[in-house]
Amino acid sequence: MNPSSSSEISRAAIDAIQAGLAATGYICGDSIATAVYLAQALEKPVLIEGPPGVGKTELAKATADHLGKPLIRLQCYEGLDEAKALYEWKYGKQLLYTQVLKEKLGDLMEGASGLQASMDRLHEFDDTFFNEEFLEPRPLLKALWTEQGAVLLIDEIDKSDQEFEAFLLELLQDYQISIPEIGTVKAKHSPVVFLTSNNTREIGDALKRRCIHLYIPFPDSRLEQQIIESRVPELEASVRLQIVSFVQQLRTVDLKKVPAVSETIDWARTLLLLHAQELDPQLVRTTMNILLKFQDDIENIDAEIVGMTRAAVGAR
Amino acid sequence: MTQVLTNFVRALRASNVRVSTAESIDAAATVDVIGFSDRGLLKESLSQVLAKSPDDKERFAECFDRYFFADDLRGIDTADGDDLEPDAPSADASNSEPQHAGEQGTEPGSALASLMTGANRAELQIAVANAAREAGVADIRLFTQRGMYMRRILEILGVEALENEISNADEARQALLGALRAQLIAEVREQVERQLLLYTANTWPDLREEILQKVPLSAVEVRDFKFMQGLVHKLAKRLVALHSRKRKVARRGHLDVRQTIRRNIEYDGLMFDTVWKRKKIDRPKVIAVCDVSGSVANAARFLLLFLYSVTEVIPKVRAFAFSNQLAEITDLFQASSAQDAISAALHKHGWGSTDYGRALADLEKMVLDDVDHRTTVLILGDGRSNYGDPGVTHLRKIHERARRVLWLNPEPRAFWNSGDSEMRRLGSACDRVDSCRSIQDLERLVSEIMRTAV
Repeated sequence: MNPSSSSEISRAAIDAIQAGLAATGYICGDSIATAVYLAQALEKPVLIEGPPGVGKTELAKATADHLGKPLIRLQCYEGLDEAKALYEWKYGKQLLYTQVLKEKLGDLMEGASGLQASMDRLHEFDDTFFNEEFLEPRPLLKALWTEQGAVLLIDEIDKSDQEFEAFLLELLQDYQISIPEIGTVKAKHSPVVFLTSNNTREIGDALKRRCIHLYIPFPDSRLEQQIIESRVPELEASVRLQIVSFVQQLRTVDLKKVPAVSETIDWARTLLLLHAQELDPQLVRTTMNILLKFQDDIENIDAEIVGMTRAAVGAR
Repeated sequence: MTQVLTNFVRALRASNVRVSTAESIDAAATVDVIGFSDRGLLKESLSQVLAKSPDDKERFAECFDRYFFADDLRGIDTADGDDLEPDAPSADASNSEPQHAGEQGTEPGSALASLMTGANRAELQIAVANAAREAGVADIRLFTQRGMYMRRILEILGVEALENEISNADEARQALLGALRAQLIAEVREQVERQLLLYTANTWPDLREEILQKVPLSAVEVRDFKFMQGLVHKLAKRLVALHSRKRKVARRGHLDVRQTIRRNIEYDGLMFDTVWKRKKIDRPKVIAVCDVSGSVANAARFLLLFLYSVTEVIPKVRAFAFSNQLAEITDLFQASSAQDAISAALHKHGWGSTDYGRALADLEKMVLDDVDHRTTVLILGDGRSNYGDPGVTHLRKIHERARRVLWLNPEPRAFWNSGDSEMRRLGSACDRVDSCRSIQDLERLVSEIMRTAV
């Protein structure tokens, strides 16, 4: 293989992904596009970490849009188990069928003399009730069954138990899962898998090893402006600059919860609604509750609003 | 190419990024896809495949820059034999240099000399880098090996022939070659230094950590305080991970058949409402008392730090500090960060002379009502009471009620009962008395306490 031409090819592919994601309204830097590209090239899941609200979940949605594949989402929570994540037998249907088939069973048994013969007859049919017909697919199995491949989003993996994390290993490594009664189910087409984590607990090494690790930090000022531009296009450029500059300042202060990108977008929408032409301290103060979600934070920041606003208005 | 990558993985491991074999295979696959020529892209994608936490990513970036400076990307591509860079021919020529250097060395005007007089620094660098690779400089581990590797590289470059030439040449050429030789040696030294830095970046902190774990708490020097705090914090974090898991396990169980039948009588015995066997969770209560008087001042800082960390692990911890008067510092711990809480506690209660009698009497008064069969009382102190009453009777009263009383003494066992130390008497009112001299001891003891307490 020619090293520099492979670099050019992958660079082009990454640029294409970046443009494709931008077309769905998701503006991202090189690193995110690289991760999406690698995920497809190496057929490996991507573990996305980063502070809340930087667009981890959004990335999966945008990728699904971009690739034109269905998005299958599994929200993790404490106590999530296989029955809810993978598959469940349709007990009701099984029961109903046995009732209906009861008489048929009598017919089948007719003529069989002795217990052994009846058992042999039964053995001929024993797998009837444990086949895919009676399987209720949950998100993970659905992702494997999807014909043209899917985008699987396993959201907030850190909220699930460690047991569930271990259970995911087989799926993430080989894109297959074992169902005791049926056997191994292999993916028809490898899905693109995203796992997100807010780092409320440390993710196990075994899982990390199987994934490409992508850390999404808060965007820098330029990128955040592009994001706002794509999401709130009606907003004037000067106000956009001021908004972003203000939020960037806010992130450097010690707060219980710093404003995320989604909050910046909300704030931009709010200011648009209020027909704001320029930030001023009074306006900021009244709309502060959109950026900050803790009363303590709002009170702590109050004294600094004037200075920050002035700096934001002066920003170029 | 594989050699370059495996060496890079080794350098990463040396700077404390954990890379498994599976991940290095992934890295190779990534390089296959990405190629070597786009440096930014290569860095980004390798970082996603190899470094799996923000900390790791930082270390990765540093290591990547250092490594791929040392091992110029151009050199790698030529080693592969298919290079499209403009200066490939010259690099190729220098590539074959080391092998022939020895043979040509007998003739005057050795290959090395001509390479050096060629005055192309980049060429010389590439030759040195290739020789270094051949000399196996990636195996360097200690700074004392520097000289050996330098010699080896110089030999591979054919320095012997150069020396001969210098001694045979006329004066003017001798001076010129001598200067060039000095330049060459400087080049080689730089190369070896870089490699040493690359592969041993982290051995020093590791060694320091290992030693500090065994150093007595009272002997830790001021400059190591910060480092020690990191260690204690690490220890506490590990304990949190270990024991928070245990609490969760207790919530699962097998079906409790008897209970289930009893509860489902009202449904005609149909198993509607299942009852699961539960492991009883013992909610441990810990009362921790820390001596912060002058005699144990140095150790007290770490004991307090540890106490602080323990409050994060076990929910019900009441913490006390005393030198002559006992004071509860639980609220202080909950309100502020470790650093602030510890200095506040030391400032308010520390540095006095010890009065165990008074302190234990206070303790009895303040906590006796709260002590029951689930309570573990943990006392950290040296048991030196300035020849005053050690207050054994008070401790005994607590001991009778508590599940157990543990005494951790920062002094070695040999010093107990000497002078004003009252460990024998105080120990008689404890379930267990142990010497806790270093971080290592602390970890072992606390882990034991947790295993039985949680």
